[in-house]
Amino acid sequence: MSSAVAAYPRLERHPGFGLLGRLGILPALLLAVVIGMSAADPHFYGPINILNILRNTAFLTIVAFGQSLVIIGGGFDLSVGAIVALASVVAAKAMAGLGASVPGQDATIIAGGVAAGLGCGLAAGIVNGLCVAKLRVTGFVVTLGTMSAVTGLGLMLTNGIPVYGMPDSFVKGFGRAQLLGLPTAVYAALLILALMIFVQRRTLFGRYNYAIGGNVEAAVVSGVSIGWHVIAAYAVSGLLAAATGLLLTAQVGSGQASFGGDRMMLQSIAAAVIGGVSLRGGVGRVEIVAISALFLSILSNAVNLLHIDSRIQPIILGLIMVVAVALDEASRRRKARV
Amino acid sequence: MSDAETSSDMALGATRELRSAVRRSLVQAALPIALLMLLLGFAIVDVRVLSPANLMNIAQQTGYLALFAMAQTVVILTRGFDLSLGPTVSAVSVGAALAMASGTSAHQGPSVILLLGLGAGFVLGAACGLFNGSVVALLGVNPFVATLGSYNIAIGIATTISGGRPVQGVPDVFTQLFYGGTLFGVPAVVIIALILGVILHIVLTRSVFGRSLYLIGTNPRAAMVAGLPVKRILVTTYLLCSGIAALGALMLTARTGSGEPNLGGSLSLQATAAAVIGGTSLAGGKGGVGTAVLGALFVTILSNGMNLVRIDGYVQMVVLGAIVIAGVVLDRARLEQR
Repeated sequence: MSSAVAAYPRLERHPGFGLLGRLGILPALLLAVVIGMSAADPHFYGPINILNILRNTAFLTIVAFGQSLVIIGGGFDLSVGAIVALASVVAAKAMAGLGASVPGQDATIIAGGVAAGLGCGLAAGIVNGLCVAKLRVTGFVVTLGTMSAVTGLGLMLTNGIPVYGMPDSFVKGFGRAQLLGLPTAVYAALLILALMIFVQRRTLFGRYNYAIGGNVEAAVVSGVSIGWHVIAAYAVSGLLAAATGLLLTAQVGSGQASFGGDRMMLQSIAAAVIGGVSLRGGVGRVEIVAISALFLSILSNAVNLLHIDSRIQPIILGLIMVVAVALDEASRRRKARV
Repeated sequence: MSDAETSSDMALGATRELRSAVRRSLVQAALPIALLMLLLGFAIVDVRVLSPANLMNIAQQTGYLALFAMAQTVVILTRGFDLSLGPTVSAVSVGAALAMASGTSAHQGPSVILLLGLGAGFVLGAACGLFNGSVVALLGVNPFVATLGSYNIAIGIATTISGGRPVQGVPDVFTQLFYGGTLFGVPAVVIIALILGVILHIVLTRSVFGRSLYLIGTNPRAAMVAGLPVKRILVTTYLLCSGIAALGALMLTARTGSGEPNLGGSLSLQATAAAVIGGTSLAGGKGGVGTAVLGALFVTILSNGMNLVRIDGYVQMVVLGAIVIAGVVLDRARLEQR
């Protein structure tokens, strides 16, 4: 036993081990699902299915990036699913309204709709952040409250009926458009991924976010102004959720209060947690979260393709989540013992 | 002169003390006062709010919610959380209904059928609790993730064994006993909630097990150092939580008269909202039967009143969200006074 313990730090110094250790069992799981599925069903690697998987991954990753940022900062955002829905509804309503008042000016209409959608996501995020930072209420409860309120707002605005009337150029020219064979949502997700990596590693905000999540007291003592960074993290999360709402709206062609919801919220947390973001704060990388979102999307796609009863899907997802986190916890304990 | 100074100082000190005492008791009594004002406010708009029939209705609704809020409170006391409470309710409802339906089709007597239903319900509930408790206590997984996993698993189980449809065949005797049954005109659910509340209160305040929940929630390390079998206590706590949830699920099944695969729906969050509004602290170690019942009463009166004065259901969601946040801000104020 002592030899195993002694060998551990040496292994960690090995150049390849750091990345591998960070990735954990995720790549192995991903590979296993991809190989297994390719053998089981040729439809799996058909171009239509791959595009489908990538599109779903893009929606999920963008929300999961915001969620990860908040969790790394020691918080929690239950309201992301509701914000996806509200942004979708508000943007669609704004575009329909502008379309009636300034018909034909697609650029103005789209800009107005996008601004309205992103604006309400940003606003909801700022409200979350303000409550957490200024009222010092735990993020879990604040966002539990805003989740209910934002869901209610989205339904109030629409009575649950889809909102149509967006300009064709938004739906056909943006949402359903493809560039070099890939849907726009994928490019948006990649762009946001690059931005997030830059923000997390190269900006003060990103570094402070880790510091706050890792040890609030130490961050305070080091002179980090906690409040603004907490508010910013929730604001980014709200903004990214709204961006997903817009992408979904453009893809589907209508604003719907049923987008996002609890499912998106829970999946974004699952993606973050399986991607190695620690719920204790201070630990996590967005690129691994992206891989984990890809894994979750492929998994649910695989379960669909295999004609496994869709009702069993949540059981599989739940078990994998618990196992992934339990393994992560076990490895952390092993490290702590060394 | 110095005499006058000291006496005026004393008087000043006394008034300051009095003022802070008044403020303290006002903050402590804020929820009961808010409850009364809420009830009177609704009564001004519509006097039927105070009619005996409606008051009985409120009592009955509070009974159900109080059961779930008590279940959630027990785990929150230990800094835990049960996100899977709602799906557990669904799984128990479906499982019990299936067991009773099969008993009926096997031409068993009513008492055998009842026992089958109760047995199946509590076994399913215990299984959920055992899973949550083991994953949290033995594998050291964050309670939120552990129960997010079992949330998915329980949804999968509930929809799989029911085929996604309501399960018919709940015998009349079950409905008559647990929904229609009254004692001195008091509905069954109120009586059950009262009995359980009294027992749970005694357990929490007078037993070693109950007191150790508070210690674990206040300071887990101290509990460990003090030699408490923390792991075993945590497993028992999650079992207790799911057990109470199963009881509530059986009562709800009697009301609907069928096993409903989405009976639990938003119950996890509603129960949490009730507990938190009542004054249970998510930081652990603070709360009890009183806070759970008070919170359940508040949420019930609020939604009952809003229904009676015909406030739109979507607006109600917004109001509930705002109330949850306000409740926690109030809790914060109470904490800071100490």
